[in-house]
Amino acid sequence: MKERTRSILNTDCYESPRSRRPSTPPSIRVQSLITATPDWPSALLVLRSRPGALQDLPVFVCGGVNIQEASGIDTESSPSRTRQILPPIPGTPSMPASLSRSPSPKPGGGWASPGLTSHYGETGSSSSGKSYQGVNGSSVTWESAKAKSEGVHGGYPSFSTQNKGFFNRHMRTLSSSLPRFNMGPERSFAEKEKLGRGRWMPRDGSRLGKLRIMASRVSRKMRLRILAVLGVILMIILFYTTPLHYYWRRAKHLGGGKKFVIILAANQGGGVMEWKGPREWAIERDSVRNKRKYANRWGYELEIVDMSTKKRYAHEWRESWEKVDTIRNCLRKYPDADWFWWLDLNTFVMEPSYSLQSHIFNDLSKNTYRDINDYNPLNITHPFPSDHLDPVSASPVGDGKPGSISLIVPQDCGGFNLGSFFIKRGAWTDRLLDIWWDPVMYEQKHMEWEHKEQDALEYLYTNQPWVRPQTAFIPQRMINSFPPGACSENGNDTRIHYNEKDRDFAVNMAGCEWGRDCWGEMYNYRELSNYLNRNPWELFKEELVAVAWFKLTGQKVRL
Amino acid sequence: MHLAFPSRKSSNPPHYPIRYSRFPTLRRSRAKTIGIGILAAVVLIWVLARLVGSSDGIPPGTPPVVIVTVVDEENYPAGYIQTIKENRIEYAKKHGYATFFPTANDYDLKGAPRSWARVPAVRHAMSNSSSTYFWYLDQNSLIMNPDVDIETHIMNPKKLESMMIKGQPIVPPDSVIKTWPHLKGDQAQLVLTQDAEGLAAGSFIVRRGDWGKFFLDTWYDPLYRSYNFQKADTHALEHIVQWHPTILAKLALIPQRTIDAANKAYAPQGTGAYIEGDFVIRFAGCEQVGRDCVKEAGPFLKQWRTIFDSK
Repeated sequence: MKERTRSILNTDCYESPRSRRPSTPPSIRVQSLITATPDWPSALLVLRSRPGALQDLPVFVCGGVNIQEASGIDTESSPSRTRQILPPIPGTPSMPASLSRSPSPKPGGGWASPGLTSHYGETGSSSSGKSYQGVNGSSVTWESAKAKSEGVHGGYPSFSTQNKGFFNRHMRTLSSSLPRFNMGPERSFAEKEKLGRGRWMPRDGSRLGKLRIMASRVSRKMRLRILAVLGVILMIILFYTTPLHYYWRRAKHLGGGKKFVIILAANQGGGVMEWKGPREWAIERDSVRNKRKYANRWGYELEIVDMSTKKRYAHEWRESWEKVDTIRNCLRKYPDADWFWWLDLNTFVMEPSYSLQSHIFNDLSKNTYRDINDYNPLNITHPFPSDHLDPVSASPVGDGKPGSISLIVPQDCGGFNLGSFFIKRGAWTDRLLDIWWDPVMYEQKHMEWEHKEQDALEYLYTNQPWVRPQTAFIPQRMINSFPPGACSENGNDTRIHYNEKDRDFAVNMAGCEWGRDCWGEMYNYRELSNYLNRNPWELFKEELVAVAWFKLTGQKVRL
Repeated sequence: MHLAFPSRKSSNPPHYPIRYSRFPTLRRSRAKTIGIGILAAVVLIWVLARLVGSSDGIPPGTPPVVIVTVVDEENYPAGYIQTIKENRIEYAKKHGYATFFPTANDYDLKGAPRSWARVPAVRHAMSNSSSTYFWYLDQNSLIMNPDVDIETHIMNPKKLESMMIKGQPIVPPDSVIKTWPHLKGDQAQLVLTQDAEGLAAGSFIVRRGDWGKFFLDTWYDPLYRSYNFQKADTHALEHIVQWHPTILAKLALIPQRTIDAANKAYAPQGTGAYIEGDFVIRFAGCEQVGRDCVKEAGPFLKQWRTIFDSK
């Protein structure tokens, strides 16, 4: 190709350094015209080729005029074929593929030579956009066609028509050297210059443009559906990332979190009785933080009560029956609340992802049992041994409706356990709280009742038939799992002791102050809870990355 | 999708009109009918619920009041007991009430004084019957005016409100605990009187319900029975009323003569002594050593019959 071109040109041309570019794509079709007018001594080579092809050709500079080297062999070899296929396209400068027309002597002016229009650099090309104005007297100009096509494309050019800076320009030059799809010789230059035609659209369109095209191919209905799905996803994300879900969970008629109050007893037996050391402070801090996090997560109320022993009553004996008065105060303080969950300080909510509703209250009749004979460590005769009672009081399960349950108590190996129990607002509860402490009963029993109100409740349950129909029991491990140290006389009991495999809800380190290490247990359960409830990122780090690292290097890492 | 021209209409228009609603049944005309139908159904259900629910699960023909009297057939002559029973039965017949006469031996008092039997007796009556009021009337008492009935003359909220003594010390001279000043007539669950010594447990009316069960069960607690209150159940009653506001809040004290007039000879200072025309006369304290109930009741045992027959 180079030899043939050289033969056309005169000999004092030298090859410009641009010709050392990589070889031209095989399909480039070039039309060349050599003008030799007397007042224009230099040879001018007019190139008609696809944009970008220009740069790939060797450039010869002859006598001060920059001549784009070209080869016209393709066209010359098959002019008839071109003429056959080319249809007259309205709006395009009609340019037959013949060599009969002479271009205007004006540089950059004259008839349309779109092939010389480089979109990628006005300075680098021999022709400019101006040259299209007023072509052939046709009413449709290049600009108008361009504007029209831009209108079709929604105001955005489907590809960049201007060189919009360094990046654009150089991206273009880089990619133009890549192999291209063979458009075939049958396409005329004129048709090819239709914007967007004869190109690989995805190649030319930007990434955004590709998306646009994809979107435009999706039907309107589908688009609406996709939008709706995206909207829903967005709303879910917004719901959980904003405090919205907190208010939702709290609201009385939505999440119902306001209906639950967690009463946390701090400083039990403290105050006058004993001083708090650093361990006690740490226990209190951890326990309170644990409940506060849990309450905030689900929108519950948290009431931390100071149970330190004080001379609060005119009749001193009533001390340690403060539970009753505390619950009564809470009933007054939280008028919206229904259920009150009493928690001792030495408890830990192991699974904060369980809500009270889903864990217990949505299916109260399944999660609780009324008939104490199911598990009866106290050997209470049930139903009440008397034949002068009404059917409901005499029934082992009361009226059997979950709505009538007002007290939910777990039983440990020794009977009722009030370290973690639920009580519901209502007339029945008012009566129970009222009768729970009675001076005549206390006077006769206070030596026996080692666990004070817990024993008193057992007594009331055993001896007053009206208590039974509204009392329900809950399997201990639902709300009050014991550590191995508590109730340990008969070894591990699946009804009593915590099992991390079952992901028990809450642990009560009952009796840890009597010879066990409260803080140690609290710390262990806190860490265990954190371990069990790792978030996906932590799981990924610790279960995948750290394990893989260990296998590769033999080193244990903490990420 | 951008089209140059609007899409063509079909050249063959459908022979039926185009339906715009997706739900053919929800046309405007039909929606109206459906709405009216739903409204009618709701009203009907509501009316039915009112009709059924007004009875509160009480079967029709249930006597509104049950008169409970624990009789002691061991220590009293059979004739006396018989007259006492007849007195109640006659009165009950007149008003369509029921009577219930258990004996102290029917209940396991675990060694407590016999007078405790009244508590399980009322509880027993309450579990057997769906009546609204349970009137416990001591054995040593007589109904003297058959025209007085429980619902209108005593338990009717307005009447009760006008009668009840508010702010009255529970134990007469100067107890700190006083009857509830804000009690409404329809909230009172327990109606009883007070004599010179304190609460009179010989004649009281309890309304049926959870509160009534709670009250009776609490009163009957084994620790009270074993506590050796000087006056057994009466003092236990005073105790629970004074210590437990849930009981005090439902208690209405009414003048003694309304349901518990005393025999003139034994009424100190003459307060609450029986006057002709009073509802009930009770020979309180006649079971004490040195007194004879049958003798005290003697004149009235005949008198009540003549009063009953004359009316």
